[in-house]
Amino acid sequence: MRELYEQLKRLFPLGEYAEQRRDLSFVTVPQEHLRPLLIHLRDRAGFTHLVLLTAVDWLEEGFFQLTYLLNDRAAKRDLGLRVLIPRDGATMEGIHDLWPTAATYQRELREMFGIDFPGSPRVNEEFILEGWTGMPPYRRDFDTKKFSEENFNHRPGRATKDPAKHMKEKLYPDEA
Amino acid sequence: MKIRDLLSPFTVWKNLFRDPVTIDDPVRQRPGAPRYRGFHKNDVKKCIGCGTCETICQNGAIDMVPVDGISAKDGDSGLRPRIDYGRCCWCALCVDVCMTKSLTMSNDYQWIDRDPDAFRFTPGVDRKKWDDAALGYQRPDDHRLTPEERVHMKELGPDARIGSFIEIVKGYSVEEARKEADRCVACGLCTATCPAHMAIPDYIAAIRDGDYERGLRLLYDTNPLPEVCGRVCTHKCESVCAVRHEGDPVAIRWLKRHIADQVPLDQYRAIVGATEPATGKKVAVVGAGPAGLSAAYYLARMGHAVEIFEALPAAGGMMRYGIPEYRLPYDQLDKDIAFVMGLGVKLTLNTRVGKDIALDDLRKRFDALFISTGLHLGRSTKVPGADHPKVFQSIDLLRRVTLGEEIFCPGEAIVIGGGNVAMDIARTLARLQMRKYGKVGVTLLCLETEDVMPADREEIIESREEGVILRPGYGPTHIETDGDRVTGARFVRCLSVFDENGRFAPRFDTADEIAISGAMVVESIGQGMDLSYLPDDLKNQIVFERGRPKVDRHFRTSVPWLYAGGDIVQGPDVIHGIANGHAAAVGIDRYLREGGTT
Amino acid sequence: MALYEPDRSQYPAKKPDGTLDIDLTSGKYLKLWQGPQHPGITGNMSLELTVCGDEVVDCQTHVGYLHRGFEKLMERRTYIQCFPIVCRICVPEPDFNEYCYAAAVEELSGITAPRRADWIRTLILEMGRINSYMMYLGGQAGSLGMGVIGQWTTYVRDLMLDRFEELTGARIYHMFILPGGVRDGLPDGFEKRMEETLREIESTMKDVYEAMFCNAVFKKRTIGLGVIDPALIDPYGVTGPNARAAGVAKDVRRDFPYLVYPELDFEPVMGKDSDAYTRADVRRRDVLLSIDLIRQILAKMPHDGPLMAKIPNVLHWKVPRGETYIRAECSRGEYGYYLVADGSGYPRRVNVRGPSYTHAVALLERLIINVNISDVAALMVSFHTYPPEIER
Repeated sequence: MRELYEQLKRLFPLGEYAEQRRDLSFVTVPQEHLRPLLIHLRDRAGFTHLVLLTAVDWLEEGFFQLTYLLNDRAAKRDLGLRVLIPRDGATMEGIHDLWPTAATYQRELREMFGIDFPGSPRVNEEFILEGWTGMPPYRRDFDTKKFSEENFNHRPGRATKDPAKHMKEKLYPDEA
Repeated sequence: MKIRDLLSPFTVWKNLFRDPVTIDDPVRQRPGAPRYRGFHKNDVKKCIGCGTCETICQNGAIDMVPVDGISAKDGDSGLRPRIDYGRCCWCALCVDVCMTKSLTMSNDYQWIDRDPDAFRFTPGVDRKKWDDAALGYQRPDDHRLTPEERVHMKELGPDARIGSFIEIVKGYSVEEARKEADRCVACGLCTATCPAHMAIPDYIAAIRDGDYERGLRLLYDTNPLPEVCGRVCTHKCESVCAVRHEGDPVAIRWLKRHIADQVPLDQYRAIVGATEPATGKKVAVVGAGPAGLSAAYYLARMGHAVEIFEALPAAGGMMRYGIPEYRLPYDQLDKDIAFVMGLGVKLTLNTRVGKDIALDDLRKRFDALFISTGLHLGRSTKVPGADHPKVFQSIDLLRRVTLGEEIFCPGEAIVIGGGNVAMDIARTLARLQMRKYGKVGVTLLCLETEDVMPADREEIIESREEGVILRPGYGPTHIETDGDRVTGARFVRCLSVFDENGRFAPRFDTADEIAISGAMVVESIGQGMDLSYLPDDLKNQIVFERGRPKVDRHFRTSVPWLYAGGDIVQGPDVIHGIANGHAAAVGIDRYLREGGTT
Repeated sequence: MALYEPDRSQYPAKKPDGTLDIDLTSGKYLKLWQGPQHPGITGNMSLELTVCGDEVVDCQTHVGYLHRGFEKLMERRTYIQCFPIVCRICVPEPDFNEYCYAAAVEELSGITAPRRADWIRTLILEMGRINSYMMYLGGQAGSLGMGVIGQWTTYVRDLMLDRFEELTGARIYHMFILPGGVRDGLPDGFEKRMEETLREIESTMKDVYEAMFCNAVFKKRTIGLGVIDPALIDPYGVTGPNARAAGVAKDVRRDFPYLVYPELDFEPVMGKDSDAYTRADVRRRDVLLSIDLIRQILAKMPHDGPLMAKIPNVLHWKVPRGETYIRAECSRGEYGYYLVADGSGYPRRVNVRGPSYTHAVALLERLIINVNISDVAALMVSFHTYPPEIER
């Protein structure tokens, strides 16, 4: 797959390349070059199948990674395109015109990560959540545990003890 | 449209004459499969309450709760898992990870109750109808979620080590240590058993994280001699390690050593931190063994001025003059001691209290005293011939070897005793013989049979590898002498060592007698203390219990300003001495801060 | 017979911005909600239909009725703790989650599961496939009013659940394929009982063939329904039987062989008419293929050897930084796990790619246009969709 990368590199400015398996590689693509690269891959390189489109929140580094996973069935290989976009005011150009099914992914990303895809069909409509006003819940800083503790009651009667602390209490309470 | 497409659906009617496939009475006719994951069972006698089941449960369905009739003891927290079936998802990870294999599942899956709280119970404690179910999921033998085999420790082979006193155990590499640290399940049962209550799971976690600074800080919280303990500790912790039930215990001792080995001495101070501001109080420590050093370390950290008085030419006590170099190299001992001294502790060597300086003088010059003079008098078997000059005490010989003296070392030697000290002298003699004669001629005999010998298992194995002949289960009757020479000794078969009350009262079969030849006999059957340095009036104020000074939980004797610890209080053991020294330091600090009167 | 305009795609008219020109107040159109509890809807999903007469002119899908946030929950669980929850993403065919998750963790950790575990994993996946198809056949027939087929397939599915129970210790959520291998080997006498079950399924499939596939009503209503143009396969991410019924030989088992499939003898089941009937028939024949594969597996698999690789202590298992995608062919198409590890003890991100994600939303919304209301359920079931794959 490195061969493909070298070819593409002559056409597009590409970032980091990682070969995960013989048939699966990931490559980082500057945001503005994604679209021409996708079209090239789809129409000329055989990557006709959009396997998935999803995001990874690198909260600490302050960016979202969008992963566009493409599949070339004839050559039996997959290429994941990584696009890093800033977390603040995250916006990305949609690809629903290249793969109509991408609209669903984009709508989900809008809702779950708060990444906007202007012009994507129904992108601002609720997809999974209903009446959700809080932080997009798939962001790393959304605390699921806190959410569940604020919204659900624990059944009373549960209590646990830490074995080491319990042994200290019972066997050597006075010692350091 | 084919005619077949119209007729073919009528084949459905053939089922009119078929028996129903439904099970009439699933409650009774439909037991779960043999590996069915149904309600939990727990063998509470086997369970050690380590809480690993609780840790792995992704539903938070398990609580560790105290149970009537099961109390906390070494290797058992006394807690047992209680399962909330409102949360359990029957994944059986708790069964897979269970350290003792006590937790299993029955194939019972039917239970109706109107009380929702009934579905929260402690398996094995709250009786349930499936407790005796023969079938149900158990962890298959080969299915392991935690590695059961200890990472191999590289050691010198017998041939390489017998000719020298080079350290046998090589220590783990960073990678090996991480792998071994990975085996810990962090239950913390070991902490209660460790006399110093070291934060074992935490410093093992520090190894996993590669954070040796955190690891060293954790070590020094409770133990100022990590290089020593990392080599020669009796590691009671490993005997209660949860992993030992279905695998090798975690090599806690080697991991401790690994942390200390990884950090150079010159970084210790920056990592462990400086002492507190000086209090102006002065404490004298008599004896620079583990207890004395430990007390001195913690007292110095608390800001007190500490001076240690030591009779021998170097600090370390039994760690230096008892334990052979191949088990504890002097440079490693020196590293630990150097850091204690670096805190400003004053060390006065070659000064025997009671002889070179009177205890009363110390009393006048210092606000409090800590005595930890150890057990340096050998005990004799007192059999005929035991008073012969070629009959030696093991600790005398070991001390002289450390001091660099030439000791009497014939080609054939007899060692009497089955503890670690006996092993030390046997293996030391073996090395000296190897140098002198090119072969080993040591026979070691002891009352105990091999399975109950007090020595560590690895000592027994390694001494055999080095050519020492072990004859466990024999007691001496007399030592044969010829003028100024010893020619051998006679032994009879020992039938039992203790009586039914557990008191030392060996019984012998005199018909089974053996003769062992040897030009020297070394007795190594225990040590006694020498408290002659205590003035008589003081001695009278001190309450003794079974020959040892009686102390409170801060190791204060009946005399308010006099604290005692180490072997003279607790018997021979490094880690106990360290723990005593620490506890005494806390007590002395409190005593001094309260004005030093009560 | 023709009641409508010949070129239905022109109807209703589109506004310049591309949206449909539907005036609900005109009385010509009606909003009709189908689901989430409609018997023709598999799982909890609803369709907001705009109908004109009894013909659908527009459809918007609505999901969110069983969102449990698995992907997020996994970010808060250690790698081993994710193992019991992944199967819950998909009730009828949970094992693909277990396999894909386990394989992804293994790949990023540099662990190889023992070969014998691969055989057992393959066996389980094929057993799961049959079960999934059994539910589908019952649902497809049920959506057209043929309740009896579901009774038969539920019966044989139950027999297969018995085999699952004795092999894995559980009937629905097996929790048997975990990172590193599988829990246990085959129980004694399993092969014999499996053969009996397979024979029962074969006999039931003959009955199903007679009563369902050679049924004038079924044929009449499904032939020509919901034709997927092969040109739509890639733009709409169509995979599995939906693609194979259109003559596109997409089968992960063949295209990207995993586990022990390279050692098994099979050809992907194909169709060409691409309508609801063909899709049903492809699935029916896929059941027979799975039966054959299970026989091959039981005949060829090794009976001794380890079942678990040496794995690190699961209580603090850290997976090195990296990302990977593992796919497998489930009964509905390409199932995959995209796993991103950041070097900690918790996954950074897990994305579950279920085939229904595209089949049940974009594809359905397109193909439902101009379908008769009474055929909506049959059309949706013919894509064999499981809504939990959409929202997870």
